[in-house]
Amino acid sequence: MNTASAFDKPRILRVFTGLVYLFLFVPIAVVVVFSFNSQKSLQVMDGLSFRWYEEFWNDPTLRDSLFISIEIALITMVVATVIGTALAIGLVRAHSGASRGANVLMLVPLITPEIVAGISALLIFSQLGIGLSFWTVVLAHITFSISYVTIVVRGRLASIGVEVEEAAQDLGASRWQSVRLVLFPALWPAVVAAGLLVFALSFDDFVLSFFTTGEQSQPLPVRIWSMIRFGVSPTINAIGTLMMVVSISAVALAVLIPRLFGRRESGVKVLTGAED
Amino acid sequence: MEQAIRIENLSKKFGDFTAVNDINLEIHQGEFFSLLGPSGCGKTTLLRMLAGFEIPTSGQIKLDGEPVEKVPPHKRNVNMVFQSYALFEHLDVQDNIGFGLKRKKVAKGEIRQRVREALDLVDLGSRADARPNELSGGQRQRVALARALVNRPRVLLLDEPLGALDLKLRRQMQVELKAIQREVGITFVYVTHDQEEALSMSDRIAVMSDGRVIQCAAPEEVYEHPSEEFVAGFIGISNLLQGRAESKGRVRVGDSSLPVPDLDDSYSDGDPVQIAVRPEKVAVDEIDKDADRIRPGMFTVEGEIESMVYLGVGNQLTLKLGNGGRLVALEQATYRVQSHDQWKVGQKVKVGWHPEHCMVLR
Repeated sequence: MNTASAFDKPRILRVFTGLVYLFLFVPIAVVVVFSFNSQKSLQVMDGLSFRWYEEFWNDPTLRDSLFISIEIALITMVVATVIGTALAIGLVRAHSGASRGANVLMLVPLITPEIVAGISALLIFSQLGIGLSFWTVVLAHITFSISYVTIVVRGRLASIGVEVEEAAQDLGASRWQSVRLVLFPALWPAVVAAGLLVFALSFDDFVLSFFTTGEQSQPLPVRIWSMIRFGVSPTINAIGTLMMVVSISAVALAVLIPRLFGRRESGVKVLTGAED
Repeated sequence: MEQAIRIENLSKKFGDFTAVNDINLEIHQGEFFSLLGPSGCGKTTLLRMLAGFEIPTSGQIKLDGEPVEKVPPHKRNVNMVFQSYALFEHLDVQDNIGFGLKRKKVAKGEIRQRVREALDLVDLGSRADARPNELSGGQRQRVALARALVNRPRVLLLDEPLGALDLKLRRQMQVELKAIQREVGITFVYVTHDQEEALSMSDRIAVMSDGRVIQCAAPEEVYEHPSEEFVAGFIGISNLLQGRAESKGRVRVGDSSLPVPDLDDSYSDGDPVQIAVRPEKVAVDEIDKDADRIRPGMFTVEGEIESMVYLGVGNQLTLKLGNGGRLVALEQATYRVQSHDQWKVGQKVKVGWHPEHCMVLR
């Protein structure tokens, strides 16, 4: 019944929802639209051009920073995913008293203010006499990323349950075979999702990178920050749009990769908890 | 009879908790053997020790005479059907079933043939290419069964395999499971907390409580001659009566003297005796009319109907006896045809049972 449904969902809720979405997306849309502006103005739109993208591309320091950020994010993704997944399997499957404490410790990196993490990383590196470089950023990123991977993979592991591994062993698979043949095929959409989440987090991280990067090889967010200290150029809009494209691609891959292999569930479902 | 499994002084402790406490059992070749008990009685722990998922704290498990308690699960010639089925969701039905054979490096052609036979055995020939998540609960259960049976294990272990199915499907699967067991001739060890399931399918039942086997016997024996109050209470409902041994074959309960042929010579006069009568053995008749329900040879007392529960297949009557005791009687609906022909609460009745149906509990 029309009247009944109108009664159930008041129109004001729809309007309100619409306003929330506007509030969320208008600033992003402004950045994207103005990145194609042919004029230098940040207020007036005046014809389409790729001028700011060209300017970005022709600036070697900015272009290098983009590739450095992608490299850092890729290395972080691979290393943190491997360590985080192994840790998740260990924590869930080892029914020891120590794993309970380790499960709580796991949350600490997530709730530690990033600025504290950044300063402590800086202190450790300087205490140990390690010069700040590309690798110190990678090390810092990996450290805080492991928790994210472990938490995502751990949730999935708990829902798979231990019985499928036992069933595999019961049917003649050794312990390692049961992990390889049964556990991992059930687990990998979560592993892919966790990896791409870590990629996106590492790619646009500013605070941690700021404290751990050296003079050379600055990641893109740090480079942008030093750039806008000397005045805002519309190039910022082009960089922002490009960064968004990279991050959205990571999420899109998390959806698509499991689909390509005939899996119904996607990585995003794993991340958002939209699974049954 | 040839032994498939022999369990000797088997115990399993988790910290301070004793899950399985000094169990001795022999399971015969080709037998349908049930472990029956309430949750927490240790039946699943015992089954998991047979499968190799738990290592016993002490004692031995012999499979065909060979001690196996330290052999890992993948090297034991037993297979298990899990309560959750534990199907491999990323493999289709035939790859699920062929998983064990592939691990044993059986030739491809033979795997294909044996998988097909297993599919036919569980009547799933048409779903070979389906993924587990496309199957109904009953079909998933059959895949789990086929996946275990296809390996032709010496013993098949089943952990409440029908627990997740609805009542109607469960009844149907009970019949099928029993038929499959007869057909393949493999020893089944079946864990359940459902007494009806255990009674209807098993050759023998081990009734467990607190990590111990209380009674191990054929279903009729366990039902008709429970050894203890726990067994009598867990398998069906029972009327428990406390009394004292009188002369030979009689027990005094309250102010009446009951004939109990089951009472053996080990009781001397005045010894406390616990006896039980099954509700379905108790006949109820109107006091002034003889409707032939109380048969010659029955022991009778007078009582009054205290309450009545309609069960569909019959009525469950709670009776207050003249001597103050209470008794539950289960009356088949065949006795009463008309709806007006009902018992009334407070009505005086005659209550009777055959003395042989009076069981002595230890």
